[in-house]
Amino acid sequence: MESRELERFEAVVLPHLDAAYTLARYLTRNAHDAEDVVQDACLRAIRHFESFNGEEETSARAWLLAIVRNTAYSARRRHRAEDVATEFDEKSHSDTVADEHPEAALLRSAAKESLALALDGLAPEYREVIVLRELQGLSYKEMSDVAGVPVGTVMSRLSRARTRLRQALRDGEGR
Amino acid sequence: MTHPVFESELDAYLDGELADDDSRELEAHLAQCPQCVRFRDEQLELRAAIGAQIPVFQAPDALRKRVLMAAESSAARPRAARRLSVRRWRAPLALAASLTFVAVGTWRLAGEGAARETLTSEVLGSHVRSLMPGHLTDVLSTDQHTVKPWFNGKLDYSPPVYDFGGRGYPLLGGRLDYVGGRTVAALVYGRRQHLINVFLWPAAHGPSGGPSTSTSQGYHLLHWTTGDYVYWAVSDLGLPELEDFASLLRKADTAANALN
Repeated sequence: MESRELERFEAVVLPHLDAAYTLARYLTRNAHDAEDVVQDACLRAIRHFESFNGEEETSARAWLLAIVRNTAYSARRRHRAEDVATEFDEKSHSDTVADEHPEAALLRSAAKESLALALDGLAPEYREVIVLRELQGLSYKEMSDVAGVPVGTVMSRLSRARTRLRQALRDGEGR
Repeated sequence: MTHPVFESELDAYLDGELADDDSRELEAHLAQCPQCVRFRDEQLELRAAIGAQIPVFQAPDALRKRVLMAAESSAARPRAARRLSVRRWRAPLALAASLTFVAVGTWRLAGEGAARETLTSEVLGSHVRSLMPGHLTDVLSTDQHTVKPWFNGKLDYSPPVYDFGGRGYPLLGGRLDYVGGRTVAALVYGRRQHLINVFLWPAAHGPSGGPSTSTSQGYHLLHWTTGDYVYWAVSDLGLPELEDFASLLRKADTAANALN
């Protein structure tokens, strides 16, 4: 990468680092793995930055998030291959309620917990569309670039994910 | 019951992705269909609940620094090379011998400065890369008698390997790395949760010196030269501890040389 490219990288890609980290947090469900994924993804982004000329169909944000997503999925496959998936899941679930005072946990409403748990419990393909749309406001086109699927698939995943979360919200209120 | 056609359009409508004509049609339908209005309200409740209960995260500062540093180190190499080539062209244009001498002299100084700068960023870049999962060690062993022979045949030198486990700096392993245009030995030592990368390669015949200290993007680098080797040690450890480690390494080298 040349120095002019470095300036462009800093101006175009780095502003989306929080979005990259947020997506990685929800895909890995774990702060430590999320950092690894984002760092790994950014090294790839730096290596391939020259091929991203900014005049393409996809936005810089979608471009970076797509790399983060692919990195997270291959890390997940690696974890699976190493057969530590169970430990991985337990760690992440305790992570979502980590560092919380016991009383605070009691005071926290059942509804609140059920929504966060329901999101964590979704398959990653469904979890990511919620994160990309609801937390980061990506357009359907950007989401289709990130996930590498047609816009129609994005919409049906989004609809199914929302149905599951609405269900969880209702169950939480009913308790 | 809600109306399935409108229900499926409602998501896109609320997401601002429904075409104008379809939006008007949907709004007209909502005006006269309480079931679909209730469905819309549930969707809005869900969005509000997600907004209130599902947090957005900020990238940790250390991560941001590491990314920036990796980008800078990838930018530093071609930039330094370009600076050199420009001066190389400029020098022959100076006709007067004295001017040529001055120009060449300046080029040498600038060249050395740039080379040193490039080396620092390469060493840092290698350190950061090694922190990525699966990149730290090629030979994973706390036994110096395993690590040292592993380099046989992979390098044209046999790097000295020590274990300072008794002093709180256990050897974790080694790997091959690429720094300054050559394949070099990288040894990895631990200190609590921190890692220290030691890069070393044979020194050109010159005076031994150092260590000199530099700090970049939150990492400390120590650089010194013995009669035999050029050393770089990099870590996010505090500087006093890294200096303590470097002095152990230097003493071990001196002791080993005294035996030879």
